[in-house]
Amino acid sequence: MQDLGFIVAGWGLILGGLAAYAGLLLRRLAVARAASLRIRRQAESVASPDHPA
Amino acid sequence: MNVTRALGVVALLAVVGASINALFLVPADVNQGDAQRIMYVHVPSAWLGYLSFGVTALAGIGYLWKRDLRLDAVAVAGAEIGVIFTAFAIWGGMMWGRPVWGVFWQWEDPRLTTTALLLALYLGYLLFRRLTDDPHRRAARAAVVGLIAAVDIPIVHFSVEWWRGLHQAPTIGSPDKVLNPSAPGLFVIALVSMVLAFTIAWTWLMIRRYQLARIEWQIEEHGRLGRISAARRAVEASTGVQGVDGVKEGA
Amino acid sequence: MSSLRADAAVAWQIARKDALSELRGRQAAGSTLFFAGLVLLLFGFALGPDSRRLTEASPGLLWLAIVFGSLLTVGRLHQLEAEDGALEELARYPVERYAIYLGKALAGVAALLVLGGVLLPLVAILYGIDLGSAWPALLVTLVLGAIGLAAVGTFYAGVTVRMQSREVMLPLLMLPIVAPLLLAAVKATSAALLGDPLGDLAAWLQLLGAFDVVMLVAGAATYGYLLEE
Repeated sequence: MQDLGFIVAGWGLILGGLAAYAGLLLRRLAVARAASLRIRRQAESVASPDHPA
Repeated sequence: MNVTRALGVVALLAVVGASINALFLVPADVNQGDAQRIMYVHVPSAWLGYLSFGVTALAGIGYLWKRDLRLDAVAVAGAEIGVIFTAFAIWGGMMWGRPVWGVFWQWEDPRLTTTALLLALYLGYLLFRRLTDDPHRRAARAAVVGLIAAVDIPIVHFSVEWWRGLHQAPTIGSPDKVLNPSAPGLFVIALVSMVLAFTIAWTWLMIRRYQLARIEWQIEEHGRLGRISAARRAVEASTGVQGVDGVKEGA
Repeated sequence: MSSLRADAAVAWQIARKDALSELRGRQAAGSTLFFAGLVLLLFGFALGPDSRRLTEASPGLLWLAIVFGSLLTVGRLHQLEAEDGALEELARYPVERYAIYLGKALAGVAALLVLGGVLLPLVAILYGIDLGSAWPALLVTLVLGAIGLAAVGTFYAGVTVRMQSREVMLPLLMLPIVAPLLLAAVKATSAALLGDPLGDLAAWLQLLGAFDVVMLVAGAATYGYLLEE
């Protein structure tokens, strides 16, 4: 292949960047979901003594 | 949930499959050689960058109309993913431009210059969002900022086109480097399949980023309510006054 | 029709008020002029002492100095009011939002014309340019450029006025937007200085005018959203 360096750099950064962003997004999502779950549990444990259901 | 996960798998397979085809199976371009293969990632990235910012502008207008924070979550997803794909497009364009045009950066190319400004505009948009706290104020102001940015884009494109046209600058790079695929049919198939694969991946990213924005908003909202009730408790404990301003505990 | 006249009156009063407070706060306005002049001087150090190179680059340097100066000017037009709570007061009155916007933009145009009026002769002196017969075209360029910068700047000053980091955010948001204005104004200025050899002066002035109209309309239509809450 001619211009191999440019092809590797162009494709590598784009596909690599896409994978990295997707991975980062999934991790941010997992962290946020865990935090949201923790908050909901907390809210339930606070609310239950006052509101017997 | 499961549909999104399936979409993610499809996106992964599509991008890998289309990439193998575009990199190794399609014959090289007659004039540009293998450097032309960079077009297969550059073109889809540029298309999705523009699509994302279009989504952001429309979602912003929708927010101003309906005042629904879910539309604001769509807007932020579009802006962040748009910045990513626009950066890819510029990078791909530079890596293609050096072997084909002889330069990384071509000031007289309206697409390149416009795209660079587009990136700056939406990086500013994201930074602005990060530095504004109140969710509705942030959503409304981000919507108008996104709108003005979208209005500016055609003017930028037009002005750079004139910049080149009115001064009849010589085109950099030799004319024998114009696109000349050895197998036009295969070239079109490769390009279209890359665009489709990237668009599927974009859809999956947009859904995930939207979900993230919604959950982050819930957490943010919870933090705000927590601070308000903590402040209220502190005041009530120190003054003995209960339920100021008609606000009752547990109401 | 009468309500349109009332809106115009509101806009005019706001412009007058802003211009008066700008005159009273002479120091702030003076420091903007000083800053822009300093920028011109530093460009001279960066590109000099070859005077031919400075002359060639002078339209671009002039407009960069005006754009940098406009960042300070438009920021100040909103800042004083926000600090006094006068902006909230203004927003409470049952007047058309676009009238407030146009009034503030008009005050911005006046301030920028003063800035340009000082910088233009300064550029001529420092970079050795003969303004000669070019000044009518330069004046038109200056007015059109000032309108565009004020239109965009008033809008973004409203966007960032309540932010803690507005000193950073205002340039970050405003500079990419005014890129086409900068391009067209520089091209028009150099065309005017060279006696319009390519016959493209009118085209660049049209582009400037189109930018002004689009940004004024967009700013007037959306300014109301910035005064919410």
